[in-house]
Amino acid sequence: MSFLLACPNCGPRDVYEFRFGGEFGSRPRPDAPAESWSRYLYTRTNEAGVQKEWWYHRGGCHAWFLAIRDTRTNVVVDVMRPEAIS
Amino acid sequence: MSDRRLPIHPAQRVDRSRPLTFSFDGKSVAAFHGETIAAALCAEGVQTLSRSFKYHRRRGLLCAAGRCPNCLMTVDGVPNVRTCTEPVRDGAVVRSQHAWPSLENDVQGVLDSFDALIPVGFYYKTFMQPRWLWPTYERALRRLAGLGRFDPTLEPGANSDVVHLHTDVAIVGGGPAGLSAALEAARLGADAVLIDDQPRLGGHLQWHLLATEGTTPDYQVAERLAQRVRAEPRIRVLSDATAFGLYEGRLLTVIQRERMSKVRADRIVVASGGFEHPLVFQNNDLPGVFLGEGIQRVIALYGIAPGKRAVVVANDNRGLRAARELKAAGIELAAVVDARVDSDAALRTLGASVALAGYTVVEAHGSKRVERVSLARLDASGRPTKGSEQTVAADLLVLAAGWEPNTTLLAQESCSLEFRGDLGARFPTGLPEWLSVAGEVAGAATLDGILRNGTQAGLRAAVLIGLGDAADRAASTAATTGLEPSGSVRPTMAAHSNTKEFVCLCEDVSTKDIKHALQEGFDHIQTLKRYTTVTMGPCQGKMCHHTSVELCASMTGQTIAATGTTTTRPPAAPVPLGLLAGPAHNLIRQTPCHHRHNESGVTWMDMGAWKRPLVYSTVEAECRAVHEHVGIIDVGTLGKLDVKGRDAAAYLEWIHPNRVANLKPGRIRYRVMLDDAGIIVDDGTIARLGDDHFFVTTGTGALESVEQWLEWWLADGARCVHTTNITAALGAVNVAGPKSRELLSRVTDLDLSSAAVPYLGLAQGLVAGVPALLLRIGFVGELGYELHFPAEYGDYLWSTLLEAGNDLGIAPFGVEAQRVLRLEKLHIIPGHDTDALSNPFEADLGWAVKLEKPDFIGRAALSRLHGQPLRQRLVGFEMTDGTLPFEGDAVVAGNAPVGRVTSAKRSPLLGRTIGMAWVPPDLAVEGSLVHVKTQDRVSEGRVVLKPFYDPEGERLKG
Repeated sequence: MSFLLACPNCGPRDVYEFRFGGEFGSRPRPDAPAESWSRYLYTRTNEAGVQKEWWYHRGGCHAWFLAIRDTRTNVVVDVMRPEAIS
Repeated sequence: MSDRRLPIHPAQRVDRSRPLTFSFDGKSVAAFHGETIAAALCAEGVQTLSRSFKYHRRRGLLCAAGRCPNCLMTVDGVPNVRTCTEPVRDGAVVRSQHAWPSLENDVQGVLDSFDALIPVGFYYKTFMQPRWLWPTYERALRRLAGLGRFDPTLEPGANSDVVHLHTDVAIVGGGPAGLSAALEAARLGADAVLIDDQPRLGGHLQWHLLATEGTTPDYQVAERLAQRVRAEPRIRVLSDATAFGLYEGRLLTVIQRERMSKVRADRIVVASGGFEHPLVFQNNDLPGVFLGEGIQRVIALYGIAPGKRAVVVANDNRGLRAARELKAAGIELAAVVDARVDSDAALRTLGASVALAGYTVVEAHGSKRVERVSLARLDASGRPTKGSEQTVAADLLVLAAGWEPNTTLLAQESCSLEFRGDLGARFPTGLPEWLSVAGEVAGAATLDGILRNGTQAGLRAAVLIGLGDAADRAASTAATTGLEPSGSVRPTMAAHSNTKEFVCLCEDVSTKDIKHALQEGFDHIQTLKRYTTVTMGPCQGKMCHHTSVELCASMTGQTIAATGTTTTRPPAAPVPLGLLAGPAHNLIRQTPCHHRHNESGVTWMDMGAWKRPLVYSTVEAECRAVHEHVGIIDVGTLGKLDVKGRDAAAYLEWIHPNRVANLKPGRIRYRVMLDDAGIIVDDGTIARLGDDHFFVTTGTGALESVEQWLEWWLADGARCVHTTNITAALGAVNVAGPKSRELLSRVTDLDLSSAAVPYLGLAQGLVAGVPALLLRIGFVGELGYELHFPAEYGDYLWSTLLEAGNDLGIAPFGVEAQRVLRLEKLHIIPGHDTDALSNPFEADLGWAVKLEKPDFIGRAALSRLHGQPLRQRLVGFEMTDGTLPFEGDAVVAGNAPVGRVTSAKRSPLLGRTIGMAWVPPDLAVEGSLVHVKTQDRVSEGRVVLKPFYDPEGERLKG
């Protein structure tokens, strides 16, 4: 695994500068049923294809951002700052 | 000078004015600067360079290019050195491998006669019974097979370098195509990195002394191109550099002696040329058998004629050129055969004693080297005709009929390799748009075609990255040029059954072995490979992959395309592990007080990358100092976060299970942090410095993850909170003991009375002239203050405090004493006493969980756990028999493990062994007996639920 990932602040960097932060998802409401919480905590979609995911620039500016990546080819389609999503 | 040495020629790499000597198996050998070890041995008349892996057959120089396994020797203690490319060093000690008692008289050569008893895969069927003898068989077999011996006392070599290069166009291959591509790309303004595995640029033209086209000898064509490349500032040349890996993200990894280069390029052009593999016939592994390019290298680069009479086996113009080069070097052509039936006219021009069109080689004869060669006519289906054999006397057999493109690197990228029957080999297709091929590897065969094709590849690469004018762009879309066919023809693989027809020289796999394996059902190329181990030796399939596929195809009646290939993975050439490990950086983190500790006689310990004092004098003395006088410990490794903002209080309230919003400015609270599964991940303190300002400390190892966690929940920008990691900006010390207030009062004007700074209160001001934050907390159980101050004052403050407390009996204390002291107070350490399944209810931290809060991280899980029976409880214990268990020892009931010890120390103050353990809830009663299995004994202890020392905390709060 050696693809390049473009940090919104720092530009394209070796992927090893970053820490993978998991699939993008929403935290359930506090009063959501146990099933929702269980799914949120313990299961993954594990998409074989394009997914939205979190990355942290550990070896650089320490920013959290989102990437759209094809998990089959490691082609990063887009990166975006998290404020851009709600 | 031996009569094998030819007259000096400008193409040679050898400097005959600089003689050297080295030793080979104890005998002194004369050589010249620039020679390779194998070339010098060849000049000396040494024919056998090694013994084969399994049968210990004699092997000699074959490829002379660093691909086959025949020349492997141990050089200055380093095993498996390819001596055909390794330059001679004066005084080098070279030893042959894997032969006993000597290379010439290897007793294990007798195995060659017993090959019927040790066929392919014999170790799956024999040498297993009786079972008790298996270790003996294994030891014996390992001694008999194998390559060089590794010397474990050998000092590792110099640290290896890693260099990162970024460029527009990376070109793999410094032959005519690669050089042309680089020049063209540079002409259009691209920066290029040219990677070439030879000491000098020019590729295969370097060892072609005659002119292929026109009147300029090939090696001079190469030199002119090389000169232009060297003069071009845009081209960076890496010589003696092998590109061994092609990875995603357009990353090329290159090895050059002790340096690894990682090259990122916009476009990559692979101009890796091609190489020959041996033909398969009886005794095709005898010393004296050379590949066509191999013998040309020996003649041209090193000026050596390895024999006097040669048989040349060809199937295209490459082979005929090889014959001409041999003749020009003064080697008699005993016979030249060409598989092409229509090659009579060309053959007649060579001046060979015997010239046969439509013929191939079927056997080599000789006991220690080639003495005679048998040739046979090919029938219409390309198989040798029985009865047509002719035998010729010769001492060299040159195989120039097995050319294939060098696609090793390309195959890593999983580009398709399409078998072209007309070209007789697999050529790359289906390349991604950033990867292209040029030259022979793309299918060009004439020198003119190679140059045109290379130039075009350079043009296209540059145009694709946006360079060049309209004319260049138009030219780049023209049809690919230079790919005229070479007209070669291949002798079809016959289903031979002779046992000395070697397919895989590295592993001694013969055609008979292949046939047997297929008969046993291993008829897929992948299983055939794994069962026979063909292609699995040091050559990595370069000599045998093509042949094994052809054999598999012909013996199973499939097409070559349908047979497929085995998977190619990096590295494309052998790479030492030490090089991949990179430079031996030893990263150490030091606290701001680090340098003072050596003056106190410290013993250091590692905590991650941090160096921390473990102990200075003795644990007993240090604990006593803290309990009776005052101690000082360097806690600069603690994580420290500055959290500010309008929403900071509400945010920290939401992150933690306990209350934060009602913390008054000037006050501190213990914090425990959970994840959303309700699991403890960290603890520390929160100090409120102002309405919107908090100072958060974390565990040493947890800081990175806590910072990331806090930042992640803020990432949507919905809250006005700013966190800053100020760990490295601050030094920190903990001054603890009944006299700590007295000590600090000597160096500060701050009012440190209990009224002004109560337990869990803070103060800010100058301490010994240094701006400091004082937190009155009590991890070690005595009156104490944690000081945080700018890092640059670390050394000064530490010395000052030690000096000021001299008459108070101050002592520095380390991590070991700290661990004992905190254990006396039953203070947990998350990650040490807790793990990935520990929730706060079980860890006796239920008091910190405020479920009445509407939401916090972990609430959903904890509200479900609340009120349910606990699975386990974290309790303190003391051993009744004084045993000191290991941390991790099991708590047992009967023979079954029911819990485990997480911490255990001897407390000098209490005179007992104390600890913490996870136990079943029914045992979590004050005074219950627990049993710990330690050091193969079961020892007894008693549960203690309140702190061992000062359970009401009076000394802390005084």
